[in-house]
Amino acid sequence: MECRDVREMGDSFLAEELLTETNHEILRHLETCPMCRDELAARRRLRDGVRRAFQHASDLDPRPEFMAQLRASLQHESHHVPARRGIRFHAWWVVAATVLLALALGLAYRGRDWISATATLARAAVGDHRNCALQFRLAEQPISLEEAAQRYGAPYRVLEKLPPSDVTTAVGPAHVIERHSCVYGGRRFAHIVFEYRGERVSLLVTAAEGSSQLALPGEALPHVTSAGRIDGMTVVSFRASGQMVFFAGDVAQPDLMTLARAVAEPLYRELAGV
Amino acid sequence: MAQQPAPPADAHAWASFEAEALPHVDGLFRLALWFERNRDEAEDLVQETMMQALQSFHRFKPGTNCRAWLVTILQHIRSNRRRARLRSPIVDDPNDRFANTIPFVAPVPETLTDEDVLSALSRIPVQFQEVIVLCDVEELTYKEIADALAIPLGTVMSRLHRGRASLRSELRPSTAALGARRTET
Repeated sequence: MECRDVREMGDSFLAEELLTETNHEILRHLETCPMCRDELAARRRLRDGVRRAFQHASDLDPRPEFMAQLRASLQHESHHVPARRGIRFHAWWVVAATVLLALALGLAYRGRDWISATATLARAAVGDHRNCALQFRLAEQPISLEEAAQRYGAPYRVLEKLPPSDVTTAVGPAHVIERHSCVYGGRRFAHIVFEYRGERVSLLVTAAEGSSQLALPGEALPHVTSAGRIDGMTVVSFRASGQMVFFAGDVAQPDLMTLARAVAEPLYRELAGV
Repeated sequence: MAQQPAPPADAHAWASFEAEALPHVDGLFRLALWFERNRDEAEDLVQETMMQALQSFHRFKPGTNCRAWLVTILQHIRSNRRRARLRSPIVDDPNDRFANTIPFVAPVPETLTDEDVLSALSRIPVQFQEVIVLCDVEELTYKEIADALAIPLGTVMSRLHRGRASLRSELRPSTAALGARRTET
């Protein structure tokens, strides 16, 4: 591979859009070509700069009132969605809707808080994954889950045995290589590190304050959802009683969902029972 | 006996939508505001996007990228509104205009401030801004960007390439600084 090829494919390389073989060819070239290394570093700096600037731009923040109102409108509208398939619109719905809307508006501020809170938790989980599982540079020494259970409560005890050390999934095995409790960004996590699909993947459990309004009483199965990519890591999560459970790692989203679903059900049941 | 406020199917659908789609509203709004440059317009756009998403949430495939799905809806609505405003489709492709106007790739300054980056980004053609923001900020794949913008994959790649070159050119520190220095002397 020549410099010209690397320059042409550099953006796709950084966006992880190339085949593994091509990535390897580029990496081999970069080992011996400082100019291309500098060029790709500059491109990465620019990409990171755009992302950072965009995320830091406070003038792009939505108004809390708008977020609250939107959430209320959506929740109200959700009751109408199935009805629209077969039932005619009735005028009394307007009255009911108005009442519901008024009630929902009162709760909506809390909803906006929840959205931000979940996103913040997900970022913290990714930060812990990076700093603990990948780079070993935590400010505070991790402690055992047993010690964490004694100090901070029963959920940590659940994580001593769940998930099991070896998990079989449809796309390959996952093996637990570490279990402990650690702190990142002032937040305590139960942290389980898997070896999965050739990467380190973290399962992180942390208390989810204020999540009670979103609990789904009677739901027997966890609802595993994707949070997309955060800071270069794929993240999926589900809620279990008062805990948020995150999976984070540099693996494909479907693979991470597969792992999460493979371990979610017993974990969800046990965490709900504590 | 007290009645349930909503049937279980409703509650479950709302819970799924709430968990999958609502966490992306903040990012969706930032995207909308960046492109529309008008808060009222952005709020209206996001409102319509989320309403459409809710109504067609049964079409969303769990396990796929919900953010990309929402961005696709948002872009579709934007595109329709733009067409309605102009009564004709946007055909101005900056690829053509810029094909021969970026002769070299400018160096990226070692230090990039948020203000410099956003200012430079806002000065390049909007079609370039779209692909750069969707790729670098929203972290959509090329395929997801192509779907969201309804353009071929090759166009995504070429717009990214030219857009980044254009952005680097705008970020060149020398242009303004040299001009100022020349004026001073």
